[in-house]
Order: sequence, then C-alpha cells, then structure tokens
Amino acid sequence: MTCQEFQEVLPYIIESGGTADQEGHLRECQSCSELVRDLRYIAEQAKLLLPMHDPSPRVWAGIEQSLARGGLVSEGRTSRPGQIKTITTQTKSWTPLGWALALVAVAFFAVALINYNPHLPATQAGAQNNSAQSAQVDGDDQQLLSQVSDPDVRRAYEDNLREVNAYITDAQQAVNRDPQDAAAHEYLLDAYQQKEMLYQMATVRSLP
Amino acid sequence: MFPLMMSAAVALALAAPAFAADNRKEVRLDVAPGATVNIVNSAGSVNLHSDNGRQLQLVYTTHSDKVEVDQNSTADNKRIEIVTHALPEQKPSADEARVDYDITVPSGVSVTATTATAPITADGLRGDITLASDTGQITARNISRSHVNIRSVAAPVNLNNLLLDYVDVTSSGGAVQMVNVAGPKVNVGTAGGNITYQGDCSGGGAYNMSTYSGAIDVTLPQTASVDLSARSVSGKVENEFPLQQKSHTSFVPQTGRSFAGTSNSGSSSIELQSFSGKIRVKKQ
Repeated sequence: MTCQEFQEVLPYIIESGGTADQEGHLRECQSCSELVRDLRYIAEQAKLLLPMHDPSPRVWAGIEQSLARGGLVSEGRTSRPGQIKTITTQTKSWTPLGWALALVAVAFFAVALINYNPHLPATQAGAQNNSAQSAQVDGDDQQLLSQVSDPDVRRAYEDNLREVNAYITDAQQAVNRDPQDAAAHEYLLDAYQQKEMLYQMATVRSLP
Repeated sequence: MFPLMMSAAVALALAAPAFAADNRKEVRLDVAPGATVNIVNSAGSVNLHSDNGRQLQLVYTTHSDKVEVDQNSTADNKRIEIVTHALPEQKPSADEARVDYDITVPSGVSVTATTATAPITADGLRGDITLASDTGQITARNISRSHVNIRSVAAPVNLNNLLLDYVDVTSSGGAVQMVNVAGPKVNVGTAGGNITYQGDCSGGGAYNMSTYSGAIDVTLPQTASVDLSARSVSGKVENEFPLQQKSHTSFVPQTGRSFAGTSNSGSSSIELQSFSGKIRVKKQ
C-alpha cells in the first residue's frame, strides 16, 4: 500500500480503524503514523472543546437580562427561568463560543490535512517534493555538520544533505518498485555518490 | 584648515592597523615538468593562470596576522603544497581568515585547489585541474586537452571554452553553467543544482548530464551532430530541437517524460537524465 492509497482512506481509518494492510502501512510508514496520531489527537481535543467551554445557564440568563435592561430585547421576550433551562439544553453543544471553538478545530484539522505530505512512490508525480520536505539529516550527518565551523557553509552542507537524502529515498523507492529498472539503480548510485562527495569534502575540510 | 588636518590625521591613525594587516608576498618556486600543485585556501580567492615559464609564481595577500601561508616542495619538485592555515592559538574571523592568491602555473603542471568560501578561477591552464569548493564560485575557462574535475557543495560552476577536455563535474546544490564545452567525455551530475549547456557538443564525445531535482537546459545549434536521449522519472521533458526519431531505443519513449533522436550524423551522444527536474532541449 502506498502513502497516497493510505491517504485516500484516511477518514475511514481515523473513524473506525483500518484493515490489516492499512495497519501494516501505518506501522511501517513513520510519516503516515505521525499524521494519524496527530489527527486522532486533534479529533479528541475537538470533542472535548464544546462541553468544556459551555457557559452555565446563569450566564445566558444574565446576558438576556442585560439585553432587556438595555432595551435591546423586549421585556416580553425575556426568558422565564424554565425557558432558560430549555434553551441551555438545546444549545449545550452549539453555543456561539462552541461554534467558534469548533471552527478553530476544523480549521486546524484542515491546515493539518493541507500540510500533509506523505512519501509517495517514486513513480508518482510530486514524490520528490514530499521527500525533499521530509528528508532529515541523520546522526552521522549531524556529526559531520558539527565539524563545519562556518555557519554559512554549515547551512549549505545541511541543505544539500537534506536534498541528497531525499534523492536517496526517492531513488531507493524507485529501485524497490522495479528492481529490474537499470535507470533506477543508476539514480541510486548517483545519489550515493553525491552523498559520498559531501562527506568527503566536509571531512577533508575538518582535518587539522 | 587645522581641524581638517586633524581629522585626516585621526582617520589615518584609525585606518593604519587595517592597512598594516594586509600583507602581500611574492614567491617563486621551482617546479618539475609534470608536477602537481596542491592549494588549500578556505576564504579569500584563488586565481590561477598559466604561462610558459618554468617556475610557479605565487602572489598572495593576507588580511590579518592570524593566518599564514605555507609552501612546501618535495626534493624533486614534483609536488608543491600551498596551504593557508591559522596560527596556533589564533581564531581568525571569516574576514581575518581571507587570503587572496594569484598563481601563475607553468604549462603541463597539474593543479588541485580546494576552498570553503573562496571563489576559484582557472584561466588558460595547460595541465589537469581539480577544483573543489563548498560555496565559492568555480570558474574554469580557456582550457584544452586536459582533465577538468570539479566538485562543489553549493558553489556555482561556470565552464567556458573548454575544448577537447575530459570534464567531470559533481555539484550538489550549485548550478552548473557550460558554454562551448566539448570533449571526449563530459559528465555533469547535480542533486539540486540546475545544469545549463550551450554549445554544439562536438568531437564525437559522450555528454552525460544528470540531476535529481534541478533543471537541465540544453541549447544546441542546428549544425550539432548528436544522438540525444532525455529521460525523467517525474519531471517534465520538452524538446524544441529538430531530431530524427530513432528506430530503436533502450527505453520506451513516453510523451512529456522522455524522448530520443538524432541530428545530422549523430556523432556525439548526449544523455540527459533527471529524477524530478525539468529537462528542456532547444535550438540556438
């Protein structure tokens, strides 16, 4: 299962869990598992927001009485205590504050989805961009970077290590997808040569 | 008048240390035919050119007392080392670490120059050259019948008028620009850097340009005699150069992703490959 296929059934997975195949992908793919974890957390928090911030009936009664005193609503429309209770029950989940919080939660959820960039297989369009964004520098890379004292040069190395790591990831995925693809092997070899060059240049510079 | 003179005197007094720190030296070194010169200079600049003399002429300017330049030669003068380094217990700033080199290299001598931020310019050298820089621009021009090896982390690479050379460029993020570069073997690879080629790819050579996410732009004259193929995994591939379709290719051409064809007698081979970068071939 690819990240894209997984993403297509994401709402179902969050609602009711996935199939064995989907669960398998979730275990293997760090990017997707982090996304699902974040989305579940957001969903849980969104559920808690409404009742947690629902004002007490006394608040609504006070507001209504203030509006009546100010002439903004007629006395005749002032709620009786019994009515207030009824209104409170009806609006328990949808108070203006609740609406606002719900909108914030939905917006947050939407932003999370918009910014979601899974690792797609190499042959799918845009795969490289996702890899480039999510590529990290690992422990060895960090150690290498620590040898570069000039901040500007270090930044150049860091940027290029990320790029090369993304290259390796994409090329490896291309090889995994079609092990007989000679061009994919060539890309992978080239990617590693790029990384080798970065290591060699940084190491030479760091020698006393 | 007096205040003006006082001001000038104060200004001179303040500027004096800065001028005093600039130290220009000139050194001549005997070099055996076929020797190798290795230059290491982190910041500043390295300018290399050639003449017909038998000595290497090194002119360098330091900008602080915290660095010095060592020159070492082997007994047979086959290997010369020119290295900038900080003095013990000194921690020069980026500005203080700068040393500007101007080196005249005898014909037939190989040169290796390595810098961090210093730009390197090699003009008219007549020996094999290896130039490497982290971020300093690398320029090689007017070089023929040599092996030109270039490595860059993020340094832009400009190659101009390199003829009959074996050219090998590996650049991670630096853009590689080539104008009139031709030889038996021209190999350019980048990760994110763009590759631009303008010339006729003459000489029946093999030209390979590959990139991960950078763009490849090739501009050829109509007279170019090439056997060209271009492929990208997920990048766009465009051709505006008149090519005759080949009856047989090692891959199945895919519209927008790959193409192959020949022009004139197809004497030079050009292979353009990208993973995601755009490839464009156009007519000059």
